[in-house]
Amino acid sequence: MLFNSHEYLIWFLPAAVLGYFLLGARARWSVRWLVIASLFFYGWWNPNHLPLIAASIVGNFGLARRMQRSAAAGRWLFAGVGANLALLGLFKYSDFLLRTLAELDLMPLVQLHLALPLGVSFFTFTQIAFLVDVRRGKAREPSFDNYALFVTFFPHLLAGPIIHHSEMMPQFASTTNKRVAWDNVAAGIFLLAIGLAKKVFLADPLVPLVAAGFDHAATIDTFQAWLSALAYTLQIYFDFSGYTDMALGAALIFNIRLPVNFDSPYRALDLREFWHRWHMTLSRFLREYVYVPLGGNRVAESRVLANLMLTFLLGGLWHGAAWTFVCWGALHGVGLCCARVWRNSGARLPRFAAWALTFTFVVVTWVFFRAHSIADAWAILQAMAGSPSLQPGAPVPLRQALASLLDRDLAAALALGAGLLIVFQRRNSNALVRDISASWLVAAATAAALTLSVLQLSNVAPFLYFNF
Amino acid sequence: MLGATVAALGVVAAINAIVDPFQQYRLASRHAPRFYALHHRWITPGIAKHATYETALIGSSIMESTRNDAIAAACGGPAVNLSMPAISAMEIRTMLETVFDARHPRRAIVALDFNAFSGTPDERQESAGPLPAYLYDRAVLNDLPYLLSGTVLRKSFSILSGRGGDSFTTDPDAPWYWADSMRFGQAEVLRGLDLGNLNAHFQQPPRTLAGMRASFEHNILPIMRAHPETRFDLVWPPYSILVWVDFAQRAQLDATLAFKRYVASAVQGMQNVDVVDLQAHDEITGNLDLYMDIYHFAPQVNRWMVERACSGLDRVDSTGADASERRLREQLRAWRPPAPRASQ
Repeated sequence: MLFNSHEYLIWFLPAAVLGYFLLGARARWSVRWLVIASLFFYGWWNPNHLPLIAASIVGNFGLARRMQRSAAAGRWLFAGVGANLALLGLFKYSDFLLRTLAELDLMPLVQLHLALPLGVSFFTFTQIAFLVDVRRGKAREPSFDNYALFVTFFPHLLAGPIIHHSEMMPQFASTTNKRVAWDNVAAGIFLLAIGLAKKVFLADPLVPLVAAGFDHAATIDTFQAWLSALAYTLQIYFDFSGYTDMALGAALIFNIRLPVNFDSPYRALDLREFWHRWHMTLSRFLREYVYVPLGGNRVAESRVLANLMLTFLLGGLWHGAAWTFVCWGALHGVGLCCARVWRNSGARLPRFAAWALTFTFVVVTWVFFRAHSIADAWAILQAMAGSPSLQPGAPVPLRQALASLLDRDLAAALALGAGLLIVFQRRNSNALVRDISASWLVAAATAAALTLSVLQLSNVAPFLYFNF
Repeated sequence: MLGATVAALGVVAAINAIVDPFQQYRLASRHAPRFYALHHRWITPGIAKHATYETALIGSSIMESTRNDAIAAACGGPAVNLSMPAISAMEIRTMLETVFDARHPRRAIVALDFNAFSGTPDERQESAGPLPAYLYDRAVLNDLPYLLSGTVLRKSFSILSGRGGDSFTTDPDAPWYWADSMRFGQAEVLRGLDLGNLNAHFQQPPRTLAGMRASFEHNILPIMRAHPETRFDLVWPPYSILVWVDFAQRAQLDATLAFKRYVASAVQGMQNVDVVDLQAHDEITGNLDLYMDIYHFAPQVNRWMVERACSGLDRVDSTGADASERRLREQLRAWRPPAPRASQ
């Protein structure tokens, strides 16, 4: 079920909230209600994948129990992580691997064409982290109901944020959280309205502008290439952060606080700061469960740089089974290594130059993330660099190109302009919801944003991060 | 704030339900119907549910310029044209299910377009745009995307205020008729074509016999079996000879003709199904003046098609299908590029 769908907003979410609080006096049933609702939410698109997620939950919970009792916990952890990665590998990476082997002439091309279960990367990573923490003695969960809710809680199930056992279990176990807190309900709806408006009014109108460039990579000119890359930079931010706002807002209505996932990333002054502000829960996962176990910062500098590269290569691959994602991860790895070397040298750039360099790097690397192939990405980068071989005819003056954009797709032009203004604002949605105070103005603005967004939903586009 | 949101959305839903610009709950009676080409797939299921008809015609854009009254005159009783551009086999099934859910027509004429059977059985053509599947069933609770649509609200207001806006037609007998805004003739057909590589212009994907067959078995056969009370005419439309030249150029001819043979054999023995093959009529297919491009023909051909289907002419069984195929192959062998005319 999509967050930006009528069935979610009008039927599912109100019913889930109502059931949760009506059963609030019996906390266990309240939790069970949310598990059932979340599985319904998950199975809405493809019920065939329900047994898979159910088996994954039961298997991991059983394994954690076994690890707590067993002297060979390390071996059980190895088996558990291996099984989770095998599941992810089978559904997400098997065709990619087989295709790559075929391209290397090592075997004939065979494809399994397995349908990718929604959110498989998210619920697999969440559970791997749980198993590792059980092994480290940091996590212990005796209640299957709470564990099932930890994995399936619908606001985070399909596209994160990637949650951590320690921050969620106390909230699921709390009995006071089963009673209506009107402040949280109001703040949750406010955040949900912001997220929906981001998706509907800022991300979706940019789709044609993005497609115009990325679907015609070989024939675009410099202006179109930069415009499409910039449009995608904004689209993916408003799409994913809008989704996250909706997730956080929905969870807050249930008195559950999910971790913040975005903190104005495009204001970052260097790449390290960007990754502290962009998809923060993935960064946290990669840091705690990949980078630190590899040695983190406590090893020789050359090993630190190698660890960074490996972590970001895996981060790229996590986003999708394609070489474009691997390239994107590799570029960020290289960028982070360069930033680290630069920082350690003691050199500093002026603030504006640091921001401009970081932002430009992020825009350019998104090209690999969005392009259909490495060849397409390379063609777009060549166009961005002004390669004359790709540009038939005389270059179009910038003013004329902008006028043409306004004339061709006003909604996209407005979304682009408004988006650029918003991403560089200091106060993002987290700050707004933190400082919210009850007033008629806020209520009216929220109601208007919700109403107008719902009226725009007929042309729904799925959230981009469902693909990962 | 929730109260205000719910109230505002309730008012929008009420306005859209009462005005009902896409005729989902009733045919337009208080105002002239508006058939918006951009919302073809939104409006057609409403017509299927509420119009009165004994014959339903379903096909792709090549059938859109068939008037309802022409079908009625040829087949007897009221009729409706439910064709949609770039229709797929899955959409033919969906539309037929909507038809049978609402009415039990005496006859269903289904124009079989090879492109409709491209890809997997549930595949749709990308150019068709989204399919609002929620409008094709009887349930009202899932109609929220229609009732709470800003686009529909704007249409409601423009109807209430009598303003124009997006282009639309108003003739309920020819809601999707496009022929009067197009030019037909050999010059139009040949414009921009490389006769040595016709698909360079049309960029049609390759099809396989197994794929087309699977799609037919999944989408068409079951619904014909489920409704023995209705007569089905599966009509092979008279594409111009250039379509067959194109198939031959990209090695699609044998698979296409094998699919035709398969369809003839698959429905053999089904008392309520006839196959009508109009593809070897070279007085039509060889006369490029009757076409606007290699696929789309003039409205007189549409009329001729339904007349042939309803009069029982050109029905073929397996033997007839073989004969038709032989004629088509002979025509193809005899084909020569048309000589340029003085005006070209």
